[in-house]
Amino acid sequence: MTPLLLSLLTAVPCIYWTGGAETRPAIEAAAITRLCVPPEQVPAWASGPLTPSPLSEADLKARELLPSPGVAARSGLASPTRMPWVVAGGWRMMRQPSGHFAYVVPAGKAALAIAEAFTYGADAVVRIDPADLQAAGAMAAFLETIPAAELTPVADVAVVDDGSPVTGEVLNLLARRNLLFRIVSAPVPDAPITIRLGTPEYPAAEAAEPSAFALKIRGQVTDERRALRIFGSEVVVGRLTAAGGRARLQLLNYGGREIEGLRVRVRGRYRSAKAYVAGSGPLAIEDQATGDDATEFTLPRLVTYAAIDLE
Amino acid sequence: MHRRTFVRLLAAAPLVRALQTPAARPPLKVVSRYPAAAVPGMPGPFPGEVASVTSDRCLDLTTGQADDGVVREMMAEGMRALTGAASTGEAWRRFFTPADVVGIKVNCGGYPHAISAYEIVAETIRQLQGVGVPASQIYIYERFQNQMDESNYAPRVADGVQIVAAERANRYTDNANYDPETYLEANLFGEEDTRSNLMRLVSQRLTKIINIPNMKDHGATGVTGCLKNIAYGSFSNVARTHERGKSHTYSVVGTLATIEPLRSRTVLQIMDGLRGVWHGGPFARTTKYVFYPRRILFGTDPVAIDRLLLDIIDNKRRAEGAISIWDRSPASLRMNDGAARDADPNVNILIREPGHVEYAASLGLGVYDLNRIRVREIAI
Repeated sequence: MTPLLLSLLTAVPCIYWTGGAETRPAIEAAAITRLCVPPEQVPAWASGPLTPSPLSEADLKARELLPSPGVAARSGLASPTRMPWVVAGGWRMMRQPSGHFAYVVPAGKAALAIAEAFTYGADAVVRIDPADLQAAGAMAAFLETIPAAELTPVADVAVVDDGSPVTGEVLNLLARRNLLFRIVSAPVPDAPITIRLGTPEYPAAEAAEPSAFALKIRGQVTDERRALRIFGSEVVVGRLTAAGGRARLQLLNYGGREIEGLRVRVRGRYRSAKAYVAGSGPLAIEDQATGDDATEFTLPRLVTYAAIDLE
Repeated sequence: MHRRTFVRLLAAAPLVRALQTPAARPPLKVVSRYPAAAVPGMPGPFPGEVASVTSDRCLDLTTGQADDGVVREMMAEGMRALTGAASTGEAWRRFFTPADVVGIKVNCGGYPHAISAYEIVAETIRQLQGVGVPASQIYIYERFQNQMDESNYAPRVADGVQIVAAERANRYTDNANYDPETYLEANLFGEEDTRSNLMRLVSQRLTKIINIPNMKDHGATGVTGCLKNIAYGSFSNVARTHERGKSHTYSVVGTLATIEPLRSRTVLQIMDGLRGVWHGGPFARTTKYVFYPRRILFGTDPVAIDRLLLDIIDNKRRAEGAISIWDRSPASLRMNDGAARDADPNVNILIREPGHVEYAASLGLGVYDLNRIRVREIAI
């Protein structure tokens, strides 16, 4: 299967809002331009410059609900500070590129949900808490400034997706560990490693412990040959796309705290880099070092989302 | 009145070594572009030599308050004894010049009852200024700013001294003050971030470092002395070395201490034993496990001092009826149960690795064999 070209032109998700047209000043103050409202409310919004799209509660419920992104403690498995359990939905969107998704997120999560959907180019609607209006508007407006790019997802491994929950959990763990993968329907000859559960090399029983399974895959790929490494955080998930000597790395910080000095290693030799950091705008990267087959640099800060274009 | 004795320690009673096998050593990769000095600071010019100064008057046992004058006297005696210099000023000039930019690695983890003593830090700064090092070229440093804020050295030391930390707190979000090109790479537990980076202050600003650890027990390393303080206090992302009962500190502590330029620039060790912690370390939020050795150790060899510390802590634990720091019994282990550890000195939360001191000796950081360690004992 040929990897899909990823277009980032129209991926800013729609913000679902039931507050009514009388809340227009707040919406406009938040600079929100893409709004979904219940169909019966659409006429009331018609008099203004903002034209919402109709979306009923039923339509919202018909979409696949994505988990509220962030980190969570899992007793015996993870803690927020030492071994954070990242709740991320990117793998679900990769699994269904033409799927329709929805988030219903509590206060403080809107910006991350919007950025996550954008990163994976998904058709998503985000129902936000009213307290997040400003943050949601700022993130959406920022994402609109990211230049469009048509690039191919970079992958360390291919995964044959049988649609099972077990394979889904493997995809989840690979994504959280920044082991980049592409999803295929059958083994592909051009992938150095193809994971198909139920084969002698990848028994289904092994995948029942997805964290250990992901570590096994990591060992097979080797850290040296991985397309992406992140240093300075265990709660940042990246998506790397590339074509023709150019690459775009999108980074999502699930930790909820600003990170200073995030070190990134990307396979490939790149001479220049331009970073777009939500909350900061364009930022110069620091301490760039280009080796034989990899480029390292430091992103000065990351709050929720950043895109780094490499050439 | 001063009483000096020159003592070669006899071999200590054999330590109970049952079940002492350390955790399997993981591959460790050091990345640094800094060359070693001709004579690296560790073990420095006095391998295997320790000056030990004790005084019953240095501290009020009822209040825990130190006597500044007695501490200054202890410092002077210790530095002269270590170096053989005729004067205290000459002793300090053996290590420092006015051009140096000097870091003082304190330990604030034991706040409020066992941090690097204000009196020792202040006297260190006075002596550096006596050498001619301007206050602006003296840095008191730690990894975490919140610990530095709690400890609050500023009003106790000379104006103009820099007080800096690499991270706001132990939250693993602040990496900007670490050197991206100087690090230890190791995959210990399958963590994604496999690097521990050296503070930029150390690699890019300081020319010399004075290490001032405390005499403390430690749940992962057995004791936290010179090696642990300078290594884990100068590198990022080190808490990852111990979790779920297992500790990789056996090899990581010493290996971090060998990384240049940290090894070459750490030229003086002053172990603060005015106060100590015999269990529950490195913390000392209460006085429950605090004790008062009333002793300061001086040297350039971190292994030799830490070798003495192992016995100081273990002897105190034995006197208190607690299990040895060398105990590796699963029966003593209550993984991740800090409350149980704090309540009972016979509970470990990790299999401790006091063998990290001997391992550091194997890396050339100093002398571990008690038969080869010379201790000059001074009582004031």
